[in-house]
Amino acid sequence: MLRAVVTNGPNGLEVFLAADSESSSESEYTPEDCEFAPDNPEAFTGLGDCGAGPSPILPEAKELAWGAGTFIVFALLMRFFLYPRLRRSMDARYEAIRAGHTEADAMRQAARSEVATYESALAEVKAEASARVDAARAQLEQERGAQLAEANERISARRDAAAAEAAAAHEAARAEIGSAVAAVASRTVELATGKAPDAATMSRVVDEAMSAGVSR
Amino acid sequence: MFALEFPPINEILRWTDVVPSVNKIALIAIAAVVVASVIFLIAGNADGSTAPRGVRNLAESIVEFIEGQIIMPTMGRDGLGWTPFLLSLFSFIYLCNVPGVIPIIQMPATARMAIPLFLSLLVWVIFIGVGFKHQGIGYLKNSLFPPGVPAALYLLVTPIEFISTFLVRPFSLTVRLFANMLAGHILLVTFALLTEELVQGGSIVLKPVGILPFFMLVFLTAFEVLVAFLQAYIFTILAAVYIGGAAHPEH
Repeated sequence: MLRAVVTNGPNGLEVFLAADSESSSESEYTPEDCEFAPDNPEAFTGLGDCGAGPSPILPEAKELAWGAGTFIVFALLMRFFLYPRLRRSMDARYEAIRAGHTEADAMRQAARSEVATYESALAEVKAEASARVDAARAQLEQERGAQLAEANERISARRDAAAAEAAAAHEAARAEIGSAVAAVASRTVELATGKAPDAATMSRVVDEAMSAGVSR
Repeated sequence: MFALEFPPINEILRWTDVVPSVNKIALIAIAAVVVASVIFLIAGNADGSTAPRGVRNLAESIVEFIEGQIIMPTMGRDGLGWTPFLLSLFSFIYLCNVPGVIPIIQMPATARMAIPLFLSLLVWVIFIGVGFKHQGIGYLKNSLFPPGVPAALYLLVTPIEFISTFLVRPFSLTVRLFANMLAGHILLVTFALLTEELVQGGSIVLKPVGILPFFMLVFLTAFEVLVAFLQAYIFTILAAVYIGGAAHPEH
């Protein structure tokens, strides 16, 4: 009796007929022709006895074992050796950076403090300089006033002296003129009357006339 | 016309053993651990007093990303103790994802169920353990009987909370990562096959059309780089959320 054998061979689906009595040795296929090795090579009669191959969905035990083993080794290495080593050096660098920042902050703070001290000292010096300038100016003003007053006094004294001198010169000139006028008048009177007037009287008359003329 | 022959799903996922019991998925997992370990080892040995550069810069960026973008928003400062675990999780998943776009390898290890399933179960065990450690038996009460819910609603809420917290979480974590990476892998295979078929097997008229799936292939490859990162990030942040939620029930 014949039976139909359908196989999924290397060239796609294949169908062939085989007699029940047909032995594997009479088959045109051998287990080597199978895509996947037959489960029982001794009982191989044709491609129908080939292995089904691994399931594309079900996990294979060896893959499971290798995946688990390698990952567990890696996780342990990472936990106890690789990560702590890297983390330590990362932390050390972060710490150095943080220390650098802290130092920079401290330096900035110190610099600000020094600037504040400098500005305060500068303000003090400016205030002191201003006070000194004001004091010097006041002293100068005072000295100038004193010197001005002294000069005014000197001028006033000189003016008074000059006025006295002028008055004396005026008086002398007046007396000289008066005596000259009195002499001229006495001579004139003497020529007119033939008699020399009294010198004192003439001098008094001339003085009176000159005083009247001055007052007019 | 031409007929596009798409290989069976098993053919694009089939990884024969390189040596007995070691297939390409196992090799990718080993390579991921070796690469990540070497990166963090070099970074740890580099001069830490100067500004980080090169490998050290990369390692420190990953650490700061995990701490700043995953732990602080989800667990707060108390969660920083989980950095090594979450760092391992993120690095391992990313390095298992990214071979999907590396020529010759071109297979994300997470496009197979085993690794996502193991990592999800690990996260599941950890967050339940953390919950019992921080809240004692009250963890079950707080998880299954959320405060502020009218007593009558517990009939509805408690089974939902049980299913979502204790059953769906590991399942969704697994399937999200596995399905996204598998879908991306299948997409790349699809456009690669289409390009090859059009350029090599198509008629002279169709050959120039092969440039279209080729551009799509290039775009999807770039997109898969993003997906590799995004899936690692999503898995890690969800793990952090679950652990943080178990440690601090008020969250």
